[in-house]
Amino acid sequence: MSTTTIDRLRDTELSYRATLAGGALSVFLLIALLGLAFPSSIWGNFLAILTSRSTLSSALRLSVPITFAALGGIFSEKAGVVNIGLEGLLIISAFTAVITTAVVGPEMTVVGLPAIWIGFFAGILSSVLFSALFAVVCIRFKADQIIAGLAVWLIALGLAPFAATVYYGGVNTDNLGTTLGTWTIPVLSDIPFFGAFFDADPAVYMMLVAVPASWYVLNRTAFGRHVRASGENPKALDTVGVDVSRVRYAGVLLSGFLAGVGGSALSLGLGQFVGNNQTMVNGKGFIAIVAYLFGNYNPIGAFGASFLFAGLEAAQIRLQQVPGYAIPDSLIQTIPYVTVLVVLALVGRTRIPEAAGEHYDTGDDNR
Amino acid sequence: MSTAVHLDEITKRFSGVVANDDVDLTVERGTVHALLGENGAGKTTLMNILYGLYEPTEGTVHVDGEPRDFDSPADAIDAGIGMIHQHFMLVDPMTVAENIVLGNEPRKWFGTTVDRERARQEVIDLSNRYGFDVNPDDAIEDVSVGVQQRVEILKALYRGADILILDEPTAVLTPQEVEELFRVFEELTAQGKTIIFISHKLGEAMHAADDITVLRNGKNVGTVKADETSNEELAELMVGREVLLEPKAEPQEPGDEVLAVQHLSAEDNRGIPAVSDVSFDIREGEVFGIAGVDGNGQSQLVEAITGLRTPTEGSISYKGGDITDASRRSRIADGMAYIPEDRHERGLVMDFDLVQNGILGSQHSPTFAADGRINWSDARDHAERIIDEYDVRPPHADADAESFSGGNQQKFIVGREFEREPDLVVATHPTRGVDIGAMEFIHERLLDLRAEGKAVLLISSKLDEVQGLSDRLGVMHDGELMDIVDPRNTTEEEIGLLMAGERPNAAETDAEPPVGDAK
Repeated sequence: MSTTTIDRLRDTELSYRATLAGGALSVFLLIALLGLAFPSSIWGNFLAILTSRSTLSSALRLSVPITFAALGGIFSEKAGVVNIGLEGLLIISAFTAVITTAVVGPEMTVVGLPAIWIGFFAGILSSVLFSALFAVVCIRFKADQIIAGLAVWLIALGLAPFAATVYYGGVNTDNLGTTLGTWTIPVLSDIPFFGAFFDADPAVYMMLVAVPASWYVLNRTAFGRHVRASGENPKALDTVGVDVSRVRYAGVLLSGFLAGVGGSALSLGLGQFVGNNQTMVNGKGFIAIVAYLFGNYNPIGAFGASFLFAGLEAAQIRLQQVPGYAIPDSLIQTIPYVTVLVVLALVGRTRIPEAAGEHYDTGDDNR
Repeated sequence: MSTAVHLDEITKRFSGVVANDDVDLTVERGTVHALLGENGAGKTTLMNILYGLYEPTEGTVHVDGEPRDFDSPADAIDAGIGMIHQHFMLVDPMTVAENIVLGNEPRKWFGTTVDRERARQEVIDLSNRYGFDVNPDDAIEDVSVGVQQRVEILKALYRGADILILDEPTAVLTPQEVEELFRVFEELTAQGKTIIFISHKLGEAMHAADDITVLRNGKNVGTVKADETSNEELAELMVGREVLLEPKAEPQEPGDEVLAVQHLSAEDNRGIPAVSDVSFDIREGEVFGIAGVDGNGQSQLVEAITGLRTPTEGSISYKGGDITDASRRSRIADGMAYIPEDRHERGLVMDFDLVQNGILGSQHSPTFAADGRINWSDARDHAERIIDEYDVRPPHADADAESFSGGNQQKFIVGREFEREPDLVVATHPTRGVDIGAMEFIHERLLDLRAEGKAVLLISSKLDEVQGLSDRLGVMHDGELMDIVDPRNTTEEEIGLLMAGERPNAAETDAEPPVGDAK
């Protein structure tokens, strides 16, 4: 392809981006303007909700499982394995975290570690084990990644409520009576609005570290480059003597680890696992996929998207409490999916790794 | 002068098939050695053995005088051997520097982080040392194929390669890029590197190599010095008989116009303009050639003419009638034959046998389906006639298409299309992947059609092919028809410049030529 064509592509992408950002900004400005002009109108209520510290606080909390799952999805898919089982990994880790804490005893401390943190790590471990199974099926036995990913979700969706029923007699676990709590940083937490960043769930801090760390690993370390090469052109990686399968295993296990953090944080933040219908995870793993596609596989962008979706959710919850404007929450919940359709179909700036979803054959059989 | 590589009585069998038969090969240090042969002669197999991809069934590999036993390419790389494959092994979105150091990244901060500055500097130093013109920060997808190839060479050099193997390095390059590559060869050998390159083109072996080894049917049939041999001698060694190298078209007066393309524009599958404002016509008894580097709009132009793509602007008329919106089926029925560029995707159904493949496109024609049902015994006769006349080997009409070699698949497609008794043949890369013998045959048949007064549209990236066969030659660059020239009075260099997008008299830069100056 000629260079001029590529330049043309880039230009249109840029203008799309600019239009999108400009559109979002002008909508916000319009609401702000209307809100300031008519404080008692619906716009005034909107403005109050959008600028309230508690909305920011709950948006951060809601974005934790989505962001971690999205980060995991990035590592897996960048390495060439499409992991649509993120939802299942969130479910299994959310459940394991709670049940482990309950078994140890919520008030107990083992070698100086509170039970809830043991549960937290157990949740991560369960997700890593699940993803290891997924990795072996996909990489060693070359199963279809989409089908194997669906299996991970469906198995977790059945297994967690089933185990809860066996243990508690119902699909929900009992409330642990304890949560991960909040870590408050003195002085900084007193800042208006932005103080929400310094008076939060421990998992929020982890997220704020994990996002730039993931970006760094992906873009600045040799491992990150191998991950990217493995998803774009595995043969190029193989011919320079790097084992493609190992890189892909690492990518998938890392996605299990990250999704596990998200799942554990979700259930332990509440102190209970809810197993009704789609469980308490309720599509967050799928929204995570949307988030990293929206963020074009960039951890920072994926976080931005997760935060946007979580922010809409938080604003929606608050809006329910204002009498007179009951917007159906199911309508709000479609926003992430509508967004991704618009992004993928119209904007088309998401670049899916060239070899994602394809098995890699080293060609050793020919020897 | 010392010996860099010595292959001693190498034999390689794949489940009973002998790919290399007792081959000896000696390559001197600091020389360029060409490995010449037809497709399937065993050139690539031999080099894959040297590179550690295959283990020889019998025989020994010596590098720098020592016998070596390579288990994998990693061993060969350690021994100072680098291989540049026909299909580049590069990661498109990554930069030149990132690709070169991939897998051997220099690190800092206790090995946690890639030292990007050092990687960049090492790439710059390396490319300066060999006089390469590459920018380490360009993304691979943004640079030309010629630059990508240089990146592959740098990748091998970065890993300490002393002996470079290149598999058909010129297949994807413009004539200018080929010249540039051969200049790089000289620079490399001047600094003591050894180069082995695989080719089936006589001219470039003669031009670039010091020594030439010819393989035929897996055997070494002779090693000669390039300045002591001739094209004719090499061709005879390759094929085993005398070959007519230059297709010769007898001059003849063309008849009525068959196809006229006017101001045609078309987009590619992503909606990006691929063909812009192309006009030309073809008359009876005329071969109209289109030259150009692959991917400059030829595919989309051909698809528009054959009815596989709807043009965005312009019109196409065929035998006097407008067919711009006519269906593919009506165009076939009207005598338009098409040899597609991708025989796997468009030419054959791989898991159909040749009987079924032989009637593809004619499944509605009264010849084979007079009463709406296919007459399979006629279809079989038809397939067997093609196999016989076009020398498709092995001659098994019942075998699935995928069991034939690429060259034989191509011969079958050519046969099927020519047997339609067409008025216009659209032939895209008709000799791609076929050996010299079959190429000669296909060229002769194309000229026969011309002599019978048929019109031929010939698209090829092989310049000598389009130049030798065409009566008039259009050159495409970036979707535009740069110029229509008389191939017999135009040099390869002039055509090459047009292929690179430069019009004669235009400045060296990319400046747009003034309107109306494209004479």
